[in-house]
Amino acid sequence: MTLEVTHLSARRGARQVLADVSFTANRGEILGVIGPNGAGKTTLFECVAGVLPFDGGKIDSDLLFYVPDAIRPWPDQTVRWTLTLTARMFATQFDSALLDDLDLVALQHATVRSLSKGEAKRLDIAVGLASPRTVLLLDEPFDGLDLRQTRQVMEILRRDAAKGRTLVLSIHQLSDAARACDRFLLLDHGRSVAEGTLNELTSRTGAEGLEEVFLALT
Amino acid sequence: MRLRDLVRKEVAELAASRAFWLLLLIVGLLTGQSFITAMNAYAEASGIGGGAVALPQGLSPLDGILTPTLGVYDLAITLLFPFVAIRLVANEKSSDALKLMLQWPASIERQIAAKAISLIGAWVVSLVPFGIALGLWRAYGGHLHAPEVLNLLAGYTLRFLLTAAIAMAAAALMSGAANAAIVVLAFTIGTWALDFIAAGRGGIVQTLASFTPGAALRSFERGLFRVDGVLVMLIISLFGFGLAANWLHLGRSIKARMAGTAVLFILAGLGVLNVLMLVRSSFDLSENRRNSFSLADEQALAQIREPLTITPFLSAEDPRMMDFENNVLVKLRRSLPELRVVYPLAGRSGLFENNAHYGEIVYRLGMKTATSRSMTEEIVLETIYELSGVHAPPHEASTYPGYPLAKRPAGAALIFYAVWPAIIITVILSRRSRRKIHKTAV
Repeated sequence: MTLEVTHLSARRGARQVLADVSFTANRGEILGVIGPNGAGKTTLFECVAGVLPFDGGKIDSDLLFYVPDAIRPWPDQTVRWTLTLTARMFATQFDSALLDDLDLVALQHATVRSLSKGEAKRLDIAVGLASPRTVLLLDEPFDGLDLRQTRQVMEILRRDAAKGRTLVLSIHQLSDAARACDRFLLLDHGRSVAEGTLNELTSRTGAEGLEEVFLALT
Repeated sequence: MRLRDLVRKEVAELAASRAFWLLLLIVGLLTGQSFITAMNAYAEASGIGGGAVALPQGLSPLDGILTPTLGVYDLAITLLFPFVAIRLVANEKSSDALKLMLQWPASIERQIAAKAISLIGAWVVSLVPFGIALGLWRAYGGHLHAPEVLNLLAGYTLRFLLTAAIAMAAAALMSGAANAAIVVLAFTIGTWALDFIAAGRGGIVQTLASFTPGAALRSFERGLFRVDGVLVMLIISLFGFGLAANWLHLGRSIKARMAGTAVLFILAGLGVLNVLMLVRSSFDLSENRRNSFSLADEQALAQIREPLTITPFLSAEDPRMMDFENNVLVKLRRSLPELRVVYPLAGRSGLFENNAHYGEIVYRLGMKTATSRSMTEEIVLETIYELSGVHAPPHEASTYPGYPLAKRPAGAALIFYAVWPAIIITVILSRRSRRKIHKTAV
């Protein structure tokens, strides 16, 4: 077990944003966290990563790293600087193959500020992959990518998971989630509604496909 | 993780900040303007124009050149540097880079320390124009007294550190850079107000006001190194950096961060209180010993064991009161630890004072009292010696020769107004063009 969350709950003022959320993510698997807008996916990630406080529950995990959605860290610095910095901060060597994998070679000297949405998303994923942490949480890793890039990133993430890293991805596009993930955690109104493989979820609900499961349970 | 790596990252961020380069440009121009004006005034006082020459003893490079030239940095520290410090924190908060940094294997306290170190580095770089001014002054044949220069630089560095700490704390606490800037300016204006209100009032308000950045800086500008002032500025700076680290712990609940703030506040408060109660020492590093009586007088005053109370019937803004405060009370406070000064008048200007005693200074030592209207050092000392029965030592003439220099600042305008801006603008443009090339290549 590389990540085990039990009975996690969090409030923002009077609003309960996470209530009794429990799930596990195993070594080398890709867990997709899905749910409607406002279900608490990002809050869950931020609580697990320790960048947001939570009120109750327990998180057992190997060292993890979380990359928020749509960030442009250090906008005046270059793509290469950002990735080298990330690797250096984790005391590892920056592997320039990452630039190749994510089509960032031509952009390596461009400033983060100047990147388009899709380019910035590829940088965010590269930042996550540049960290050697064994659990990686990526918030909306396919948002802003075109179909080809989405498939390319899925392939890269699959390869990374095959090496033993646990990936937890928050995805709102269910078709992407279905293609990319081994198992799913369905959140709704801050609660975990279901957890399992696509087969387990469809047999439990009698629905066909992830979209039907989503509609049946939320 | 090594602190060096974190500092490298912060230095890169500073170098990428246009605000920092603009600051360097402006500081260079202002320093040049100040230095050239001060040099011309000094040359005229030294008789370059053929007019009356001031007494050589009155021509001190500390007052005539160093303080006005470095005075520009007070402006920069108040109005420009806060934005550079705020940017270092606020940008990372708004871009969510902070969320990545909080997961690095380096505590946020260590990261704040790295930011502070890089800001001190930026401060040292910004002092290059002042260094050029000092070099020119020496090249023209001007005199420098190293302890005065170092003391003055120490004062401004502490002032800078305090502002950087407050700016970083504000950036950590507030939701945006603009709000943080407002907080820093409010803090500065608050200290100015305290300084103004407390002048000539006595009591705890005046004691507190003597530790405001402005008041502390004035001590350094007089060549006085006050240990209590230095410690208070360091404690408040550490409090500011601590506050910044505390509020950047996004994973801590607001309650926990409030508790952390309370702990920091109590620790800083206790630290300041201890300094106020226990630390009195100061060192007069001015070459002309302007903060001290003659050694003979200091020895004679040390024989007075009873507490002395001085009551000046003068309002705060009366020039005589200011002279008395700056030329006599400063020295007496250093020589007589048991000195108490009572400020009986509430009015500021003295224009509407209807007090029969106005203008008098009453001295009380034990059961004896004496009244005088003179504010000169000699008469004040004579009065105190008479009251205490201590034998007055013979008057010692000052050995300070003064350092007139009747020279115009030849070439300074070229360096400050042409060479310095050209260097900075070249760096800014080369950084910009490098980015453009990369963009075009993409």
